[in-house]
Amino acid sequence: MSASPRSAALRLLRNRFVLVPLVLLVLIAGWNVFVLTHNHGIVTGRVVDAVGRPVAGATVRLWVFNFTTFVEQASVTTAADGSFRFTDNPSHNIQISAEKPDAGRSERIAVRLYFAAQDRALPQPLRLEKGS
Amino acid sequence: MRRRRTFPVHLALIAVSAVMLLPFYWVLKTSISGDNIFAYPPSVIPRDPNPFYYVDVWYAIPFARYFLNSVIVSGVTIAANVVLNAMAGYALTQTFRGKSFVLLLFLSCMMIPFQATIIPAYLITGRLGLIDSYLGLALPLFSTIICIFVYKASFDAVPRSLIDAARVDGLSQWTIIWRVMLPLARSATATNVILSFIWSWNNFMWPLIVTRTPEMQTLPLGLARFLSYQEDSTGALYAFCIMVLAPGLLLFLMAQKEFVQGLSAGATKG
Repeated sequence: MSASPRSAALRLLRNRFVLVPLVLLVLIAGWNVFVLTHNHGIVTGRVVDAVGRPVAGATVRLWVFNFTTFVEQASVTTAADGSFRFTDNPSHNIQISAEKPDAGRSERIAVRLYFAAQDRALPQPLRLEKGS
Repeated sequence: MRRRRTFPVHLALIAVSAVMLLPFYWVLKTSISGDNIFAYPPSVIPRDPNPFYYVDVWYAIPFARYFLNSVIVSGVTIAANVVLNAMAGYALTQTFRGKSFVLLLFLSCMMIPFQATIIPAYLITGRLGLIDSYLGLALPLFSTIICIFVYKASFDAVPRSLIDAARVDGLSQWTIIWRVMLPLARSATATNVILSFIWSWNNFMWPLIVTRTPEMQTLPLGLARFLSYQEDSTGALYAFCIMVLAPGLLLFLMAQKEFVQGLSAGATKG
């Protein structure tokens, strides 16, 4: 009495030498799909002043890790609501800073991404401080 | 009652296992926390664990390319080891004139270190036109004497009557190896697969000599290259080590039962 093809396939699937690579392949494929749909290089955030009001017209700079140090990659100006948007971040390891002549400058904050050009919205606004 | 007797043994085994696993844990912990190894007081629990050192490694060097090269070279090595070692192991189970001399020759060849054979190996690989190729990278590990003896021990345990019956049925020597012996020597095959994989995966010296272009380099060479780039980043270095170790560990964990059976096969033969 021979086993049916279906039960043979199920038995093969339960074999750890088949199951483990198969699970890994599915996970890798899933991760790659996620990366492909989230790697547009978009980084968004807001800039506020010392008391938390949005700052319009502030210059926000994107710094990209270049082998040994961070170099400036791009800069944008904030909108009326203090928001900014970079659309061409190529890296996984970036820093962002903001400044405006009459409002001061922010700390340069480090942003680590899970893959290069990952789309990311900064959870905390950049806070401009005078004299910093 | 029995449990009470074995408890101290298990306790001692757990303690020894913990000591053996501590370095691995430390590497894993540093790879996700970047904690300086000289930090005092040392922390057993990783502080602020994150996967970003792995991301750094992925982008600092062409990791995927090195990984693919290592996989291809290891795959070729494993296939060659299983085929060639099974053939050699089967031959050594047969009776023929000069068998003792061949066995002695094999055993004595085990004592020659690979470093002593690098120059002839390089010249042969060069003559074959295999420098800087996958086949050239895998060639010196195509057959290893230890693995031949693993197959021999396993084949020795197969009753002669089974082989004689196969011969009476008209099977050729090739068919006997592939259809009769190998299915009965799964443990030996698993041992061959694991050992040849580990030796090929971790091989540094031969790929260093035989590769000419960065595109053909394997993971151990990538690790050396990475070290020259980022020698100050402990976390990234340890993350790289984990990424290199992981496939071997996974393969061993999957096949450990067969691996242990294969190594101990024939050990109790009287």
